[in-house]
Amino acid sequence: MIKKDFILNNPLKLIGYKTEDIIPEGGFGAVLARAGVGKTAFLVQIAMSALLRGKNVLHISLDNPVDKVNLWYKEVFNNLVKQYKTDWLWENILPHRFIMTFKVEGFSVPKLEERLTDLTGQNIFSPHMLIIDGLSFDESTRKSLPDLKAIAKKHSMHVWFAVRIHRHEQQGPDNMPAPFSKLADLFDVAIQLKPEGKEIHVRSLKGSAKTVKHPALLLDPSTMMIKNS
Amino acid sequence: MEHDIQKVRNIGISAHIDSGKTTITERVLFYTKRIHAIHDVKGKDGIGATMDSMELEKERGITIASAATYCSWQGYEINIIDTPGHVDFTIEVERSLRVLDGAILVLCSVGGVQSQSITVDMQMKRYKIPCIAFINKCDRSGANPLRVIDQLKEKLGHNAIAMQIPIGIEADFTGIVDLVSMKAIYFDGDKGENIRTEDIPENLLAEAMEKREELIDAASMYSDELTEAILEEKEITEHLIVDAVRKGTLTREMTPVFIGSAYKNKGVQPLLDAVVNLLPCPRDVQNEALDMEKNETPVIMDSNPEKPVVALAFKLEDAQYGQLTYIRVYQGALAKGSSVINIRSGKKIKIGRLVRMHADQMEDIEAIPAGYIGALFGIDCISGDTFVAPGLNLSMTSMFVPNPVISLAIAPKNNEARINMSKALGRFTKEDPTFRTYVDDETNDTIIEGMGELHLEVYVERMRREYSAEVTTGKPRVAYRETITRMAEFNYIHKKQTGGAGQYGRVAGYMEPVADENFVFENKIVGGKIPSQFIASCEKGFRNCLAKGPKMGFPVTGVKIVINDGASHSVDSSEMAFQAAARGAFLEGYARARAVIHEPIMKVVVETPAEFQGSVMGLLNQRRGMIISCQDEGTLCAIEAQVPLVEMFGFSTVLRSSTQGKAQFTMEFAIYKQVPQSIAEELIEQAAKEKKNAA
Repeated sequence: MIKKDFILNNPLKLIGYKTEDIIPEGGFGAVLARAGVGKTAFLVQIAMSALLRGKNVLHISLDNPVDKVNLWYKEVFNNLVKQYKTDWLWENILPHRFIMTFKVEGFSVPKLEERLTDLTGQNIFSPHMLIIDGLSFDESTRKSLPDLKAIAKKHSMHVWFAVRIHRHEQQGPDNMPAPFSKLADLFDVAIQLKPEGKEIHVRSLKGSAKTVKHPALLLDPSTMMIKNS
Repeated sequence: MEHDIQKVRNIGISAHIDSGKTTITERVLFYTKRIHAIHDVKGKDGIGATMDSMELEKERGITIASAATYCSWQGYEINIIDTPGHVDFTIEVERSLRVLDGAILVLCSVGGVQSQSITVDMQMKRYKIPCIAFINKCDRSGANPLRVIDQLKEKLGHNAIAMQIPIGIEADFTGIVDLVSMKAIYFDGDKGENIRTEDIPENLLAEAMEKREELIDAASMYSDELTEAILEEKEITEHLIVDAVRKGTLTREMTPVFIGSAYKNKGVQPLLDAVVNLLPCPRDVQNEALDMEKNETPVIMDSNPEKPVVALAFKLEDAQYGQLTYIRVYQGALAKGSSVINIRSGKKIKIGRLVRMHADQMEDIEAIPAGYIGALFGIDCISGDTFVAPGLNLSMTSMFVPNPVISLAIAPKNNEARINMSKALGRFTKEDPTFRTYVDDETNDTIIEGMGELHLEVYVERMRREYSAEVTTGKPRVAYRETITRMAEFNYIHKKQTGGAGQYGRVAGYMEPVADENFVFENKIVGGKIPSQFIASCEKGFRNCLAKGPKMGFPVTGVKIVINDGASHSVDSSEMAFQAAARGAFLEGYARARAVIHEPIMKVVVETPAEFQGSVMGLLNQRRGMIISCQDEGTLCAIEAQVPLVEMFGFSTVLRSSTQGKAQFTMEFAIYKQVPQSIAEELIEQAAKEKKNAA
């Protein structure tokens, strides 16, 4: 039952979403934060809760090598095992996860599609969820996002992005950080991680269940794990 | 013998086969006056170059590639340490790389960075060994050192910077321009022993200036003084540049590139200068030992010769007068007449004779201080043993030795081979703890065990080459294991009381799976239901069942046995009876404990050009492989997967043919995992068939 506890405790539910499959097939979700605040850690926790439900996650990293990404998963996994005192096996998670890294300049949507076809065509791996970490959000990205959406829909999966924002950037009219607000219409869900004092607050910017007024969710800065306030 | 540790270099020469490692070593030994004539490696097409070097060694009566050859250059002592010829990640490779402080990465100016260079480079990376590159064979047609430098950057990710440019190329290759001193260097005399320095030829001046700018620019990253000199437009001295390049090299952030043609006697002396000027001395490198009392936590070694001694035996050699053990001292000093402890065996050893190896002779010395390499005579040890001063409990290598995952039956072809084979096996098991051998009781076959197909192949080849022991090999077998998956109780009475001396014993309790241990035995008997003198027999009885599991005959692991009840007879109970009772109890419990078969799973990393990524993944997938990740590295990509060992037989051939020979892979043991049901059934069927055939 403990596994269920974690699934119930999953980051998205805690913010007030009814179900964690809040993003439809072909849909986009974003986690926004400044550098070093914990986007990857947060995404890995979202991924982990999907993995524990037996969903396949394809993690694409554009700036970190495989080992480093794997370390995040191990760290989050070990923390969970400690927190929930369980005996889940890492080996059971592994078949559901696939890490793919690209050089930033080597990444393009057609290339991704080629790789995905390699994986699904040979029945090697069929992801339900895609995580893209390290993509820079500028004008050129905007052009390729609709293509990505189409691919996601075709493969029946949804995509989570890590979006890096900068201190000096102005906020847009809808409280969204500047470069992202231009792209916000493409996203179903947006979550911001904001350091305040010694704590990191998790705020829903878009797509939050309206019933919850202000979900107070914190990240523990030492482990980057979600904790209840 | 003077001890200035700043003037010691322990280096390796790592190279792709046929890029000229033997020729370079030969020239180095000649110029440092260790040998007095140069013999050439035959075969211009390069075929069989490695064999040639072996022949050459025999003919000359010296081993060029002996474990550690000492030579001196400009007052510096250089130890050239043999790096293993094969490229699998095994303990042996790890050990020789540990002893190096720096390395020369030799590349062929025609072939450039080839797949084996990638593997060699990966090992250097793994052990963080600073290196300089030498682009050899600049006299060959098709030579293009600049292209190789680009490949170093692109394929190996080195920050490769040219330190020299060639004067002429291919057949016109006459000398080099040194970009630090801005002089042209020519090599005169029959054997290039006379160095002539001149001004740079007019036609090369512009290129040299440009390349020098690049060099200074790259080097300035590592030296504030150099940056200052550039900004203030002061004179940039040679010393400033060399110093900055050295800093970059030591941190592995920069790879200075040298060029030449060892065969044509060009560029070797400047390379030796570079070894002396740019590669680290033992003190520049931090070495760690493992504290055995604190669960193998690393301890940093101090090269101070006053400290208690810590030394590693890294290679054994059969010499005329017995076993020669090459050691490197990491801390303190190993002195003649002193006593040290072998950490593995706990035995105290008195150091009788210490020598230093030259190419063709040895010299007796009084002590080997930290950072130096020497050899011991007549010490019984295996390679990888750590020697320490009494009172210390440190080990240079982890005591953890993985169990072999693959075995192979070998048989000598004739009687002479039989004797040589047993000699060879004795030597190899001493050298490499992951290589084991035994004689199968049932078939009387000699079985060798190791960490992979290639690992065993290398030893079979060495048996043939070094010991002229021709052997035939059987089919490799994977080391399957059995284990139980749930708790099961047993209650067994062994009773034989009809005629003769009776036997009686009852053993009851339960067995359960246990992680991380092969076998745990716990005695919870109270009230003397089994008399205490028979408890050990019970344990022995259980333990004897482990070697051949009841399900498939594979070794049983991960079982905990708890006995909590039993009965004995005042006359008929005996040690024998309780052993038999335990055996019966084991079989009874095992049948209920849902036994499964486990197989070794290997971590396989394939490096392939990106265009073959799809097909490589397909290959791994067909082999029951679980692909974990794929890492894009520009033109290459690295695919990591976990694949059952049994599926990896012959993989190298298949991989080669489906990637035009451009992909390569490494493999190491990862974990044991349960065999899928369908495969397990096949195995059981096969085992039954074999049993039938044997009967």
